[in-house]
Amino acid sequence: MSGERKKVPVAACSGIGKSLGAAAREAAHILTEDLRPDQAKVVALALLVMGDEEAGREVAGREAVAIDGCKLECAAKGLACAGAAKVRKVAVFDVVRRHRGLKPEGVCDLNEDGLTLAKAAAEEAAKAIDEIDPEGRHA
Amino acid sequence: MPDLPKKKVGLISCSGEELPEGTVTRRAVRKVLETLRPDETVTLCLPLFLAGGEGERAFARYYPTIAVDGCDQRCAARATEKYSAPPVASIVVTEVAKGCPREDIGTARRLNQRGLALAEEMAAKIAEEVDRELKAPRRSRAKAGEKH
Amino acid sequence: MSAEVLQVTVDKFTFRFPVDLFYSDAGAWVRFEGPRALIGISDFTQQRNGDVAFAEAKEPGTPVRAGDEVAVVETIKVNLTIPSPVSGRVVETNGDLLNSPELVNQDPYGKGWLAVLEVDDVEQARKALRTAEAYMTLAKTQAEAEVIR
Repeated sequence: MSGERKKVPVAACSGIGKSLGAAAREAAHILTEDLRPDQAKVVALALLVMGDEEAGREVAGREAVAIDGCKLECAAKGLACAGAAKVRKVAVFDVVRRHRGLKPEGVCDLNEDGLTLAKAAAEEAAKAIDEIDPEGRHA
Repeated sequence: MPDLPKKKVGLISCSGEELPEGTVTRRAVRKVLETLRPDETVTLCLPLFLAGGEGERAFARYYPTIAVDGCDQRCAARATEKYSAPPVASIVVTEVAKGCPREDIGTARRLNQRGLALAEEMAAKIAEEVDRELKAPRRSRAKAGEKH
Repeated sequence: MSAEVLQVTVDKFTFRFPVDLFYSDAGAWVRFEGPRALIGISDFTQQRNGDVAFAEAKEPGTPVRAGDEVAVVETIKVNLTIPSPVSGRVVETNGDLLNSPELVNQDPYGKGWLAVLEVDDVEQARKALRTAEAYMTLAKTQAEAEVIR
């Protein structure tokens, strides 16, 4: 494989008010550190939206993955604003609906249910990464 | 300016997913909100703020708001000024960390003991600023007719 | 929905209360339409309890007395039992909530309705409920006491 492959940018909502935001943030770290470290990279959402050029270059014209805690979709909106060509959305909220009964708690320290949700969301995001970058997975 | 009931202070933290300092700021702000000054503070969600959250922006327009950032990019402080009004204080982790290298506090995902201690220090500093602001006279923050 | 809506702000949260509705202390709203009542949960109730993941009302045909469980709303934080604000019989439930429970959060007084009931005694039911202004006062007190985070 020649040249440096650019990693798929991932933005997480990191909402500080809800455990779902914390789960989205944790999911982004699980994705980029454990599941797809060679293919995915976290981009700071605030930097993107505030117009940071370096962050913008990571995203503009490229496919990206948004991991959002709730239906407000702040990360997806931020990526779209920054010029992402296509945003694949992973919503922790939808993951909650598929794992009925889980009650995530905590913002700084997620409880076990929160971590379970984060892992499930990360796995969904990993599938999105594989769709965007199928060669990277099999390299 | 609307008639405001009890004076409260808003806290807006950077989300800093890429840096451990971002995690320090989140932890510090939550500590102030949950433990140190629970009745006097409100957190504002920066991603929601940036995405157009009217409740967050309106609060920062009319209530004193402290921005807490992980690095010199000062995303929280700049966003507050851009969309609401200048923050009454802007604290950056590096100012409190006093030269402590980034590698020494853990990762964005998990802070180590030193990083946790730094978060406690930050929380104490934020609480001091909250107290200072609560004692200050109430003043109009939004300029008349100013819109963004 | 009526054009007139009362609102109150506590911290960064603004709660809305359409004046053409009646409200129970437990946080449900009622729109009387002849002998029937359209019910849901108030803006204050939905904000206080978080993102709705599931919302299920009793099946059509089920008789309920005021105070009996008429619906369950499961949020990220809690499982809420919604006491019926009126006595009567469930005649219709909101099928849209099966796939879009977030409607309860996004449009609590409109598309997020929970059920329609045939009311036993409309006048008696009205008397037992609060007006928008009275409920707003209650909600404000509760919000200030709780400090929703």
